[in-house]
Amino acid sequence: MRARVDLAKCVGHGRCYVLAPDVFEEDERGYCVVRSEQVDSALESQARLGQENCPEHAISVEPG
Amino acid sequence: MSETSTPTANPNPETGEVSLFDAELARCPQPVYGRLLQQQCPVTRAAFTGSPVISRYEDVAWAMRHPEIFSSEMEMQMALGTERPMIPQQIDPPAQTRYRRLLDPHFSRRKMEALVPDIRRHASALIDKFVDRGECEFDKEFAVPLPCTAFLSLCGLSLGDLDLFLKLKDGIIRPQTAQPELFEGLAIAEIMEKAKTVRAESGRQIYEYFDRVIDERLAKPRDDLMGQLVHAEIEGEKLERNEILDICFLLILAGLDTVTATLGCNIAYLASNPEPRESLVRNQGLIPGAVEELLRWETPVTAIPRVVKQDVELGGFEIKTGEMVTLLIGAANVDERHFQGASEIDFERGRNLHLAFGAGPHRCLGSHLARMELQVAMEEWHRRIPDYHIKAGEKPRFSPGIREVLYLPLEWEV
Repeated sequence: MRARVDLAKCVGHGRCYVLAPDVFEEDERGYCVVRSEQVDSALESQARLGQENCPEHAISVEPG
Repeated sequence: MSETSTPTANPNPETGEVSLFDAELARCPQPVYGRLLQQQCPVTRAAFTGSPVISRYEDVAWAMRHPEIFSSEMEMQMALGTERPMIPQQIDPPAQTRYRRLLDPHFSRRKMEALVPDIRRHASALIDKFVDRGECEFDKEFAVPLPCTAFLSLCGLSLGDLDLFLKLKDGIIRPQTAQPELFEGLAIAEIMEKAKTVRAESGRQIYEYFDRVIDERLAKPRDDLMGQLVHAEIEGEKLERNEILDICFLLILAGLDTVTATLGCNIAYLASNPEPRESLVRNQGLIPGAVEELLRWETPVTAIPRVVKQDVELGGFEIKTGEMVTLLIGAANVDERHFQGASEIDFERGRNLHLAFGAGPHRCLGSHLARMELQVAMEEWHRRIPDYHIKAGEKPRFSPGIREVLYLPLEWEV
């Protein structure tokens, strides 16, 4: 699975790195940083939880 | 704002108008939101002012993400005792973006995490004062002082200024409650005038207070938020004194009442609902989810205003340039079109995209601070006082607009 964030949409709600801390982290402003675009299979459900809870729909997770 | 009591007629079944300052709407808003959301037209008008009210989730979220249409630049209309726009709340992008770049790092989740031990100590010290009494008035003894203490800590201000801060904040937000003696026997028109005077005077004192703090930090640098603001730069330029003052004004207005109201709404709900309360006591791991779900369900900041900068149409309803509109966040947060099981309260809701902290570029600057304060307060409270209820024969009293539970008498076994 691949995880991406659209930084044009992110406004720093921080739901992703709170709910999926192994997939996402925060930059200095509290905006989303994807730890590694290629998501380990053990972390896929965490990645989805983070993606679903982004109020700005800024995160995408896709197979691959 | 005076309260009217018309429990079944809001929104008005004939005109569709909604009364935003209705006592019932403050006490138990969800049924009113439900009726509003079922109306055919997605926009209705507010009773008395006639200004458009937007209540569906998709529309509210869309408006929040389009500040070029739904602008926050309306400091004059708000008349909150300010002399200039509050920064960054009353300024839109692109100017607002520069300020957010500067301020966001000071309010990041990571920064707020560092305050946890401090807030926990303050919460615990407040509880110490009444735990053995077996009762308290939650608003006055916990919900009001905790966020204010947190704010003073964050800014690096003296905790001895707590009472002064509360007085100044109330002077702006609810002048009539803050200084009732000034309003006795006045007619409505006189009340409005007097409120304006009290607001302006409180505003002046807030500017003066922070003006002094700026001088102190310039003379003697310190590593607290005030010290950092004094030396902060945007694109190589220091902030002007007025810019710092306009930031401080926002912090005091936005940072105190909102968390107070949320704490009150949460505890009022849990005091009357033993099952969810017991679930939190048994499993403190549910608290973060409960905080989110109660922000959604209770939505203490029920609405935010915007001014329309270009004609816009929503579901056939035309809103004209210059009109003030209300984004009814509380209604959006219980909209069945967006939330599955919107009227059920579920602390383990897997997906919760509530708009309690807004969305788009004006997302609440203090959201990470608020979440941290709420979580720590809920943890400490339930660790110390797991089983409590509303005092027999008493009723909580909610204020409209920002739903502070002004009177919340609790009791428990000792």
